[in-house]
Amino acid sequence: MTCSADRDGVPAPAGFRRLGGVVCGREYSLLIDRRAALANLLLLAAVLLVAVLALSLCSITLSPRQALAGLFGTGEAIHVFVVQELRLVRLMAGLATGAAFSLAGCLMQTVARNRLATPGIIGIDNGATAFAVASVVGLGVGLAPPPMALAGAATATVVTFALACDVGTRGYRFIVAGIGVGAVFGALTQLLMMRVAIDVANAAYPWTVGSLNARNSEALRWLLIGLLPGFAVALRLARALTILRFSDAIARGLGYRASACRHAALALSVTLTALAVAVAGPVGLVALIGPEMARRLSSPRGVPLTAAMLAGALLMTLADLVGRLLLAPIEVPVGIVTAIVGAPLLLWMLLRPEARLT
Amino acid sequence: MTERTAAGRVALPRLMLMLLAVLGLVMLTSLLFGAGSVGPEAAWRVLAGGGSGDERFTVLSLRLPRALVGLAVGAALGIAGGLIQAAARNPLAEPGLLGVSAGSALAVAVALVLGASAATLRVSVAQLGALVGCLLVLAAARLNGAGSDPVRLVLAGAVLSGLLGALTSLLLLADQRSADEIRFWIVGSLAGRRLQELKAILPSLAVAGVLVMLIARPLAAMALGERIATGLGHHPGLIRLLTVLAVALLVGAATAVAGPIAFIGLVVPFAARALAGPDVRRTLWLALPLGPILTVGADILSRLLIAPSEMPLGVITALIGAPVLIAVVRAHRLPAV
Repeated sequence: MTCSADRDGVPAPAGFRRLGGVVCGREYSLLIDRRAALANLLLLAAVLLVAVLALSLCSITLSPRQALAGLFGTGEAIHVFVVQELRLVRLMAGLATGAAFSLAGCLMQTVARNRLATPGIIGIDNGATAFAVASVVGLGVGLAPPPMALAGAATATVVTFALACDVGTRGYRFIVAGIGVGAVFGALTQLLMMRVAIDVANAAYPWTVGSLNARNSEALRWLLIGLLPGFAVALRLARALTILRFSDAIARGLGYRASACRHAALALSVTLTALAVAVAGPVGLVALIGPEMARRLSSPRGVPLTAAMLAGALLMTLADLVGRLLLAPIEVPVGIVTAIVGAPLLLWMLLRPEARLT
Repeated sequence: MTERTAAGRVALPRLMLMLLAVLGLVMLTSLLFGAGSVGPEAAWRVLAGGGSGDERFTVLSLRLPRALVGLAVGAALGIAGGLIQAAARNPLAEPGLLGVSAGSALAVAVALVLGASAATLRVSVAQLGALVGCLLVLAAARLNGAGSDPVRLVLAGAVLSGLLGALTSLLLLADQRSADEIRFWIVGSLAGRRLQELKAILPSLAVAGVLVMLIARPLAAMALGERIATGLGHHPGLIRLLTVLAVALLVGAATAVAGPIAFIGLVVPFAARALAGPDVRRTLWLALPLGPILTVGADILSRLLIAPSEMPLGVITALIGAPVLIAVVRAHRLPAV
């Protein structure tokens, strides 16, 4: 494969680099957005750095070298145990939930054409949490938390969109309808927590504010299984979503089935949110900050799905790390850390005089 | 049969009488029903002056203070809701949703972490926190852009109260002793409240009452626009300041006793406007019986729904209030306040 600035005399557009060449007798060509690629590399490097820190730091501090040796099973037995048995699962959970929340948020913001319309804000997190708590406390008609969370997220979505349909998905009323739906599901969660024995409630409590401490390995497996095909589908939709940002008419004119794409993106967003909630509880603000960060870093030409995923993974892992270290030995749930960091950002976005959110 | 005003609505005094009768019934129900072993007949005997010692204790020392505290908290939150809606000119403004209650909860948590423990300190601290929350919200409402869009203000308030709530949780995580002290208060409930707690808030309720009487008329003028209010001889800045003070006194007092309870300040003015039209003076009068009806009614439900255990009052008010919130938002043209 060779790199060439132009092919057949057609130069690559400004800001792009064309990768092209002949593979097995067929000619391929790929346009790479330089800024997006740079942003993705930068975010990936940051994610790796924070991941190594997350494996090294906690009540037993390892040097990065010891942590990596433990990760690959070549270090001292105690280090291997600490890293592989204790910290690796938590790191995986943080990376996967962060990526899922942030990708879901990016998809929903794009579909709703509103940067505030993330699953957490319009009540989908709370719906998933209520149903998953029902499963944990034994009212789940025999279903495990992940499928129950899916059912709850779907219910909350249907209710919110049904209530908002004649108001339209644009503007803030849709979001306040979502806040109302979220409040009802939040109250139902509290109601469920009141009905169970105190030890079950105490065990479920950190999870209801969003924590990686109470993760369950089966839910994590569900999430990992869902995340990869989800990302593939999202990349498949990326082109259509880029066009959908403008208007349905333009998308149709260019040959995209606008409403099919929108429904697919919405369904994907809800699914990813539900699977992530089943692992970590409602950490909805990652879905707001992750895509925002990705949009700032990445190129404005497309919908930054990959960058959003990386940014989400970075934020979640970092927030979890801060939460573990801040008041050690007490652990601050990651949901509280993201709320304290994310809420001022959200307020600033809302109240800035020149706020342009769509 | 019923006397009607020009607007086709039932006249205010008649409406007040009807609502007061309903309130009487609700208070009576609150005394008659409860989670304990004292049934309605036994409770009725106590009210008639008989009953055994245990029954007298249950009804007069447990249920009666609770109902009275509910009365005061409901009236305070209902009137505060009416006031803050008039001051922000926004039918969605609500002390609980906008972060005023969360502000007082945070203030109480800070005071506890700093070493305060006296229950009497709680009222003034909570009022201070409510004042800060209230000023933050009104500052947000007056910022360019947000003031013109009622729904955006609610969103900002929801975020603010989320932030204050997260800070409170953080403080409580860091300090186990404080967490134990206010664990049952922070969810919002009337369970186990005593008459002393009611006495502690009565002075501030009285001051707030006087303030409300002073500002009701200017607030009605402000509904026509600040320039008209100025033309009628009122001072909008002063009125707004007094309103904020009254809201802080009322919400702080209610939160100090019952913990943060959302949605009452939304539902009560909404119902009052539906019954008596948009005049803020009528709204405030009707909030006086409607607030306690809603609060004490929700408290009865919280005791009976999952007896013998209890639900937090905040859960019930959220279940009642969230649909009202959605209904207000769904109205294509938001009703003017």
